[in-house]
Amino acid sequence: MLVRRCVAGDAAAWEEIVRTYNRRIYNICYRFAGSASDAEDLTQEVFIKMYRTLSSYDSSKGAFVTWVTTITRNLLVDHFRKTKQDRLTDSIDAPVSAQEDAQPLSEQIQDQSAPPDQRVRSREVGESVHAALSKLSPELREAVILRDLQDFDYREIATVLKVPEGTVKSRINRGRAELARLLQRTYRQVM
Amino acid sequence: MPDHTSNGMQCHEFDLLLTDMLDGVLGGAQLDAFQAHARSCSVCGPLLAEVEAGRNWLKGLTEVEPPAGLVNNILASTTGVDSQRLRVNVAAQPQFSWWERVQAWISGAMQPVWATVRQPRFAMSFGMAFFSLSVALSMLGVKPADLRQISLRPAAIRHTFYNTQARIVRYYDNIRLVYELQAAASKIRRNVRPAEPGPAKPKEHKNDTTEQPEQKQERNYSQSDHQFLLAGAPLGPSVVYPLNQDLPVVSVTTYRRFV
Repeated sequence: MLVRRCVAGDAAAWEEIVRTYNRRIYNICYRFAGSASDAEDLTQEVFIKMYRTLSSYDSSKGAFVTWVTTITRNLLVDHFRKTKQDRLTDSIDAPVSAQEDAQPLSEQIQDQSAPPDQRVRSREVGESVHAALSKLSPELREAVILRDLQDFDYREIATVLKVPEGTVKSRINRGRAELARLLQRTYRQVM
Repeated sequence: MPDHTSNGMQCHEFDLLLTDMLDGVLGGAQLDAFQAHARSCSVCGPLLAEVEAGRNWLKGLTEVEPPAGLVNNILASTTGVDSQRLRVNVAAQPQFSWWERVQAWISGAMQPVWATVRQPRFAMSFGMAFFSLSVALSMLGVKPADLRQISLRPAAIRHTFYNTQARIVRYYDNIRLVYELQAAASKIRRNVRPAEPGPAKPKEHKNDTTEQPEQKQERNYSQSDHQFLLAGAPLGPSVVYPLNQDLPVVSVTTYRRFV
């Protein structure tokens, strides 16, 4: 209904769409791209593309949120390909097995031994998890982001990523395991 | 992942059921077989622990707040207007009549012009132009009070035009400087004219059969015209003297002034 109103030229409907989905899209972009500035730019690009192609949305083919997430994911893939040259030294381009030789996260996070309080510790843990997430390969990263951060079900993730559900589950498991290994190694070195 | 069977379950089956087990949808005999495989398999057991830990790490991540101006930036980059303006327009649109919309459109279209006109240098220029125009009109005798009684009939306009033209010509001719210049110019023209070769005018030479070249009369005061007159000859065409008759001859010089 909202989409139909927007396609008909209702500017208020478009504003409502933007207000409803900007948080979700920004978080996906932020967790995938790793930086707030990139996430802001990518979020704007997503909405610009959505605005131009809104008339092509077919509600019979899936939910609107799935369509929006597919647009987001496609733009993130494009962004990843464009910035590949900038990340020549980044281990994200390497296979998952090769990430064991990546730069340890202990070099990026501060000493965890004596946190001033629980709030600060929680924030630092969040930063270390975010940093570890950016070390995952893009295929594993997008799968765990959609599942564990955005609470998509496997079928929706399969639709967005255009892979079978079995592949989605496998990528989620590998992503989670890889993340845990990175974080365990980090905290073991810090402590 | 090595694919071997342990407790009736292969490792790839374990991998497929891993997500279901963590989601809590696995039950019954399948769950028992899964747990038995996890305990006995040296690969899948640690894998289950890592996957569970990784999921817990990710669940601990909180949502980040988007930047404050993100929504406005998105709206500005898509619809071209920011959120506040959009909201005001949507709320106020039904209250406008068509005349108010036209006025709003005109004021919007004229806004860049007014912004330019309001600049001090343009305001000064317009002020000077107005002052010059008012001075010129007052010199021409145009009074604002006369404008009320002005008639716009074609005949009246024509009459006003000729009157004004005559008044301007009179005013111009009566200027002392113009008068003096005109006088000086005519004087110069008068002095210069004799030196100029004038156009040859055919002259009537009645009763002239000599075919001699015409003598030009110099237009100066020193020109003399020598005529020989018979002193005793009475004037009148009827008197005829024989040529051989001796009559006293008197030489008379007359001076004529040619103007």
